[in-house]
Amino acid sequence: MLSPTYFLPKERFPDFLNALKSLGQVFAPVKVSKQSYSFKAVEKASEIAFEALRTILPPKKFFYPQSETLVKFEDGEIKECIEEPVFKVIFGVHPCDLAGLGIMDTIFEDSPGDTHYLRKRRTSMIIGLSCMPDKHCFCQSMGTDCPEKGYDVFLTDIEDGYFIEGKSSQGQKLLADAFADKVLERAREAHKDRYKRFWLDRSEAFETGFKVDNLRSTMDLEWENPVWEELGDRCLSCGNCTPVCPTCYCFDLVDVAALSSKQDGSGDAERRREWDSCQFVGFAKVAGDYNFRPGPVDRLKFWYRHKLHGFDDAYGFKTCVGCGRCTVSCPSGIDDIVKVVNILQVARQEKDEGQPK
Amino acid sequence: MIPGKTPYLSVKGTIRSIVPMAQDNYLFDFTERTGSLSGCRPGQFVELWVPGVGECPISVCSGRVSESIQLMVRRAGRVTSALFNMSEGDSVGLRGPYGQGFPMEAFKGRDLVMVAGGLGVAPIRSVWQYALDHREEFGRLVLIYGMRHTNDILFRQEFKFLLRRRDIDIFIAAEEVVGPALPPIAMQLGRVTDLLRQAEISSDSCVAVCGPPVMYKYVIDVLKERNVDEANIHLSLERHMKCGIGKCGHCFIGGKFNCKAGPVFALPEIKHVPEAIECDAASLQGGLE
Ligand code: SF4
Ligand code: SF4
Repeated sequence: MLSPTYFLPKERFPDFLNALKSLGQVFAPVKVSKQSYSFKAVEKASEIAFEALRTILPPKKFFYPQSETLVKFEDGEIKECIEEPVFKVIFGVHPCDLAGLGIMDTIFEDSPGDTHYLRKRRTSMIIGLSCMPDKHCFCQSMGTDCPEKGYDVFLTDIEDGYFIEGKSSQGQKLLADAFADKVLERAREAHKDRYKRFWLDRSEAFETGFKVDNLRSTMDLEWENPVWEELGDRCLSCGNCTPVCPTCYCFDLVDVAALSSKQDGSGDAERRREWDSCQFVGFAKVAGDYNFRPGPVDRLKFWYRHKLHGFDDAYGFKTCVGCGRCTVSCPSGIDDIVKVVNILQVARQEKDEGQPK
Repeated sequence: MIPGKTPYLSVKGTIRSIVPMAQDNYLFDFTERTGSLSGCRPGQFVELWVPGVGECPISVCSGRVSESIQLMVRRAGRVTSALFNMSEGDSVGLRGPYGQGFPMEAFKGRDLVMVAGGLGVAPIRSVWQYALDHREEFGRLVLIYGMRHTNDILFRQEFKFLLRRRDIDIFIAAEEVVGPALPPIAMQLGRVTDLLRQAEISSDSCVAVCGPPVMYKYVIDVLKERNVDEANIHLSLERHMKCGIGKCGHCFIGGKFNCKAGPVFALPEIKHVPEAIECDAASLQGGLE
């Protein structure tokens, strides 16, 4: 049976927000500067930036914080550190970020599951929200433009209100309760028509993109393309492109000794994980001073390859969801996946055409 | 299902003995009472934690792991230096075993060639110990061990005994004579590749290789000259496995996590992966950290 769909008139949004607040702390995009948005705790509907496209950091930060303690060494014993998470409702997550969460889920669920991430993730509700692409959005190329997983409830903006679908059982329950409380109405045919029209219009609205089916061979065959050296020369190895990415999960594990500890590690200590970046010079260094990716170009190529087909084998998906965050946050303007892929594809095509049949 | 325990939790390992070996290498023997490491197979590794300092991946170097586990450690960074300051009776954290190890079951019934370069001898030791423990299940055993300087030799005492055995052919070489005279160990001057050319290697041998990244290309070339099938060449790849459980990304090679899919790979699995085995001298760079 298809689960019921609902309609929420915009003037009743504050009531819907109250329903969300009754579940836990609500976070939503908030305008933090002239051009940037950030997921922050909100109390009132007026604080929410409904127009926000990409927040500075993706919602991964709620489940995979920049720094967290995993294990402790205390009084000579090794103990695990797992905090009891508080229920969080994340409102206003767009399709690219939902796909991103889905990818993070797969990585952290893969055996052995990451208790720290999963506990926080399973104590949350994700409310998706539709969006209209800008010139940097290319989720359509990556096939992540329609919400598939990673969310509980999804809202599509149909002008005077929202067309609402429930995905998970906790999402459906929220909607059923809100319906019983007369916050929501059942969606009518007219709403469904506008909903369909919205998604059709949206699929026509993408300004940028590329063909994805030959991505793997293009990347592999153009591994020596001169464009890489050019980009490598301009990369600052600042690592901006990775924390902003909804699917970058790499971390470092570091020890923090308690102040009372001695240098030899005989005192109390914490083992912490912190976000790391494959763009940093030491990322692929091993004992004996070998570095598998010594130059910026090596690291940049690695990153592109990982985003565009690195997980095809391990998990059967690509790890770019087309949000455009890396493009807008690269100080050198070289993290332009669309542009680079187009250059590589053109090069490929020219070679193919130049070949005798 | 959310696992109840964090996968980053170590168990306590207590240092039972420390045997100094050549060139800042110590052989540590740890007692571990929970038995969580006892299923350790040749080629697998553990994460060793010195609380307050850090963790590092170390391959297991004994063929049998029960309540005691042996790790060969070279003093190289902060973690290993801290470990070197410890004494018998002190404890560290250990977690694992991780990775796939060498496919010992698949090697059975065949000739097995073990190729070790430098510190790669530590994981290869777990292979020969295992093979000698199950001697009748293997065909010919050939052990090839190359190192930079004559005084780099590890497990010198063990080799004295091994060299007397007739059921394993051992070839040892160093590139240069350095340091004091050695006990009478049959050692020549040369490289691993020279030894590989000397040894009698049947074309249907299985090969287990572990050594510095620069060594692999040359070893593979010679094995191909000897008509060894690529599918039978198993290489242990070195990466910095920080988490050991396929999450942190540091050991990512092509499309795989070295810590989970590796560190041992059959050559066909990785030969087309960029940066899997090639590592030229130009990529040698400053110190760790
Ligand atoms: S690689 Fe760039 S565009 Fe793709 S998901 Fe990450 S930040 Fe977004
Ligand atoms: S690609 Fe851009 S954002 Fe990423 S490290 Fe290089 S300069 Fe920084």
